[in-house]
Amino acid sequence: METAAADAAARVRVRFALNGSPVDVWAAPHETLLAVLRDTLGATEVKYGCGEGVCGTCTVLLDGAPINACLLLAVQAAGRAVTTVKGLGAEGRLHPLQGAFVAHEAAQCGFCTPGMLLVAHAFLADHPRPTRDEIRSAIAGNLCRCTGYTRIVDAIEACAGSGTDARGEPA
Amino acid sequence: MYPSPFAYHAPATIEETLALLARLPEAKILAGGQSLLPMMNLGLAQPGALVDVNDLPGLETVTEDGGGLRLGALVRHRTLETSPLIRRRCPALAEAASLIGNIRVRHRGTLGGSLAHADPAAELPLVAVALGATLEIRRLEGAREVSAAQFFRGYLLTDLAPGELVTGVRIPPFAPGTGYGLAELVRRAGDFAIVAACAVLTTDGAGACRHASLALGGVGPHPLVMRRAEALLAGGPLTDRRLAEAADAVPGEVAPESDVHATAAYRRAMARVMAYRALAQARARAVPGPGRAA
Amino acid sequence: MARPAEPPAPFRIVGRPLPRFDVADKVQGTTLYAADWRLPGMLAGRILRAVYPSARIRRISVEKARALPGVAAVLTADDVPQNALHEDPTGLGLSSFATPVLAADRVRYQGEPVALVAAESEVLAQAALQAIEVDYEPLPGVFDAGTALAADAPRVHPDRENLLIHWKLRQGDVEGAFRQADAVVERTYRTQRVDHAALEPEAAVAWVDGDGVVTIRAATQVIEHFREIAEILRLPHNKVRVMAPFLGGGFGGKEDMTVEPYAALLAWKTRRPVRMMWTRQESLLARPKRHPFTMAYKTGATRDGRLVAQEISLLADAGPYPLLSPRVVFAALVVGCGPYRVPNVKIDARAVFTNNVPTSAMRGFGAMQVTFAYESQMDLLAEQLGMSALEIRSRNFLQKGDRLPTGEALETEAALPRITARAVDALGERSRPSAPSGRVGRGIACNMQPYGRTVWFRDRAQAWIGFEADGALVIRAGITDLGGGQAASLAQLAAEVLGVSPDRIAVHIGDSALTPLAGGTFATRQLYMSGNAVVKAAGELRAMMIPVAASLLEAAEPDVQFAGNHAGVIGAPERTIALARVVKECARRGIPTSLLSGFQGEHAAPIDLETGQGRTFPDYTFGCHAVEVEVDAETGTVRVLKLAACHDVGRAINPQSVEGQIQGGAVMGAGQALMEEVAVEAGINLTTLFAGYLIPTAMDMPDVRALVVESGEGKGPFSARGIGEPPTGPPPAAVAAAIQDAVGVRLMELPMTSERVFDAVRARPARPEHEARGKV
Repeated sequence: METAAADAAARVRVRFALNGSPVDVWAAPHETLLAVLRDTLGATEVKYGCGEGVCGTCTVLLDGAPINACLLLAVQAAGRAVTTVKGLGAEGRLHPLQGAFVAHEAAQCGFCTPGMLLVAHAFLADHPRPTRDEIRSAIAGNLCRCTGYTRIVDAIEACAGSGTDARGEPA
Repeated sequence: MYPSPFAYHAPATIEETLALLARLPEAKILAGGQSLLPMMNLGLAQPGALVDVNDLPGLETVTEDGGGLRLGALVRHRTLETSPLIRRRCPALAEAASLIGNIRVRHRGTLGGSLAHADPAAELPLVAVALGATLEIRRLEGAREVSAAQFFRGYLLTDLAPGELVTGVRIPPFAPGTGYGLAELVRRAGDFAIVAACAVLTTDGAGACRHASLALGGVGPHPLVMRRAEALLAGGPLTDRRLAEAADAVPGEVAPESDVHATAAYRRAMARVMAYRALAQARARAVPGPGRAA
Repeated sequence: MARPAEPPAPFRIVGRPLPRFDVADKVQGTTLYAADWRLPGMLAGRILRAVYPSARIRRISVEKARALPGVAAVLTADDVPQNALHEDPTGLGLSSFATPVLAADRVRYQGEPVALVAAESEVLAQAALQAIEVDYEPLPGVFDAGTALAADAPRVHPDRENLLIHWKLRQGDVEGAFRQADAVVERTYRTQRVDHAALEPEAAVAWVDGDGVVTIRAATQVIEHFREIAEILRLPHNKVRVMAPFLGGGFGGKEDMTVEPYAALLAWKTRRPVRMMWTRQESLLARPKRHPFTMAYKTGATRDGRLVAQEISLLADAGPYPLLSPRVVFAALVVGCGPYRVPNVKIDARAVFTNNVPTSAMRGFGAMQVTFAYESQMDLLAEQLGMSALEIRSRNFLQKGDRLPTGEALETEAALPRITARAVDALGERSRPSAPSGRVGRGIACNMQPYGRTVWFRDRAQAWIGFEADGALVIRAGITDLGGGQAASLAQLAAEVLGVSPDRIAVHIGDSALTPLAGGTFATRQLYMSGNAVVKAAGELRAMMIPVAASLLEAAEPDVQFAGNHAGVIGAPERTIALARVVKECARRGIPTSLLSGFQGEHAAPIDLETGQGRTFPDYTFGCHAVEVEVDAETGTVRVLKLAACHDVGRAINPQSVEGQIQGGAVMGAGQALMEEVAVEAGINLTTLFAGYLIPTAMDMPDVRALVVESGEGKGPFSARGIGEPPTGPPPAAVAAAIQDAVGVRLMELPMTSERVFDAVRARPARPEHEARGKV
């Protein structure tokens, strides 16, 4: 397929919600949600880490469920609600999970952190009082090379039972 | 890093889909995308056309089917893992799904997609074979069914012909006194198994084995049925000794290969260990009584 | 050696687990890493890489690629102004080496850069790569370090032999000592190629600034690479600028140049901004790895467990280009005997060229690999002598003042007894097996890791520190922050000395044009060098301002203290003025409220090349890890149940950050122990998927107990020692010991996969069910 022609000619209009606000972009079908978020919408908090779906740095919530943005085509997000780490917390206020990560120093280089927070948030929504082993199982798909995970588990455990929504309001 | 361009189709009905697949033999089906998209991101697959089936109606249903279950091809792994009906009627499927990849993969990956992809170390093809599942397949000209054991033909190779789409999977009902076991050897949680075993045992009121099903994954180009082991178990008491004999028959029936993760010899040895563990779990679960499925 | 002025203990800010300012940004996703930077008109840059490990390039055709729409540039070796990186690999002027930037007529490893493209998008750049045609003629290659020195081995480089470096250490008389020894253990150990696997792949954005300055904002540990880039572009050094944002992990993988010269070349050629992001698979394929080591050890001891001799031969696969290989092997040489007194030592440490994937710096830097060997030897000796692992170590632990194998005296306390006791105690009750086939075992391992660069390098770090008119503080230092809190620690140190609260301190780092150069973040040197530089600068600034404050407060200078953004009089809390007022008064009197200062590392002449005797590293960090594992005797699977990691950090500037480094380093070491490997066969890298490179997940490791000992003796600020690298060392040996305790087999090759454990257990001579001896 003629690459430049395909690149330019096949753009379609894609509308979805990003962190609660509507977005309206033109994207070619072959563009992944990751590429459109980062390069078209400037949502660089979503990272490229592997392109295989194994590292977790591209985690976003799709209608509340954590998925690999690198493995979803942007056109597949049409009409859906996408949440990135910037959708946690409210204006000028950290989400309790974010506050816990800071207090427990559950982030060092921080590259895994946005994805880790989203997975933790989705997990706590369904499991308000997890054991440490359950937390470990929930975040097993989000790789971290800096912290060794102990403090991440500490921070998530500290937020258990707080029952908050994405904005950090009581759910 | 990113996929190369392709022609994208998102048909609204199954009929439209089948017509497209018939017209575009080089098109790839996009279901969960958790196996296809990585290959496209890496440039290992550069299909000229993609047919997105995610919005097709009626392919995500889970229904009871004469004591068994019928699952639409688009049922996500996460649903298999968490649905109360599936956990009650077919816990083997729920457990297998919970072992797949990571939570993000499970939210998108589909039953039909996993079976059609046919990775020999994957959990769902293995369990489908051990459970005696039947796949429902449709093409423009009509529909057909095939047993899971017949469906898997080779490494990443299935019975699917060009233009065909898996639309559903049926799990047969299980007699009272049936239990399942699932044992896998993985390097890390969520990885593809080095070796995996799935056993389904049905006992009669006296604890003897009425029916045995044992399948192994990761030890051949597709899930392998352990016929000798099954024959050794059927009709007899499910003692530790009998289970061990059946497990000892497994290494002779598998054809593993060596790769960077494990040698053939180790896989062969682990096949026996995993088979025994799966059989022991199945026996423990097979409590005689009414209506308790695998 | 002059120590920077220290305020009296107890400390107000140092030693407190303050939250790091960068973590608050990171949890909000607002940190802009290298690949997050966007400029108008930015192109995507990609590298075409060699597919053969050893080949001649007969022809490269770029016409088709250049003709594709949206392709702005396609470059080959001819387009590089100076296609050579000149290195002095040993740092001692023993040899020089020129590494090509782009391969011209010869490729020497699979993945070697051959051409560059810049295009309007990643997808177009990918297409352009596919359109470049390279005609290779495969050649024989060297794929095994063990045979690289054979007479008939092909030469990796035409003008030199395959031996890159041979370091020697000779002390005493090992032959005689072995004859007198009561116990001798001889074994060969092997460690594997390991990838850094930082979550952030290599990336940079390069552009040409208004003044013709080629600017590269790169995920790099070393901004000083601007000099090499300038050489490559044949530009004056002051026409290249390297900026380093916060890194998504480095671990030594971003210590050599990675993307920088390539992004710079494309930006310089196209005069447009270029972003180059390596794919993960590209990074796994071709980014230099940790050296695999083959380590032959012969260790002798007396009946009561005192070491009398070590004869060691180390061999490292250096890949085709030197990079940092000589220095990695040197570090291994220096600590090859471990933290023990050994009177007779003979070590030969070699690195050889091969056509395998290149190897260079990785956290632990040679000193890490030898830990597996020397600690395993200690356990085997203990077994032979009927002693416990703890006993034999206690008999031989280094103490302050002891002579190291290099002949130099250990100048600081080696708190090994205390460290070891704490690690062992932390294991608590022995766990019960979780299944009938489970066997529980325990092991310990101690290590020593140098911090700071070798003392011949005249290491230096500078820092600028200054007050704003409102009393807020600014620090400018050329350090890079890999995620280990390097930047935040400087703020904490300045806060201690100058009494400014940490939230009123801005730290600007990593800009070769605007921040005083501090040397890169590697060799566990940053806290030692830049920490000392900041404390020195802050102390000098304080010394200038105290007299002014004293005069304003009408107090004697020794009674004045700076704390809580105020200058006050000790013992008279009501007599206090804002620091801003002192700043204002300084300005009125013409006294500076900012200054540039620097810290000079210790310097000494290089070692004797025949004997290895002389001064080497400024100091060492000592540690001990205690591990409990459960082995599934039927499958060989090893699960870590408990891991306690204790290090003496001298002084913990920020205890939370120190513990975080210990926990992360221990898990990295455990990953190398059990599951990580970059498999290379005949020069072909078989591990190119992240799904296939297994680093520990949250389910693979238990909680890591990080234990900190503060001996109060270290050469860093406030007597701190470095902690970045040390925690990676002990886990492999500790886990090996624990496996032996559990199932009676000692593995000597990493990683200790379930298959290797299984095979070892099956090969073990039949004997009664192995019982844990309670050695630990």
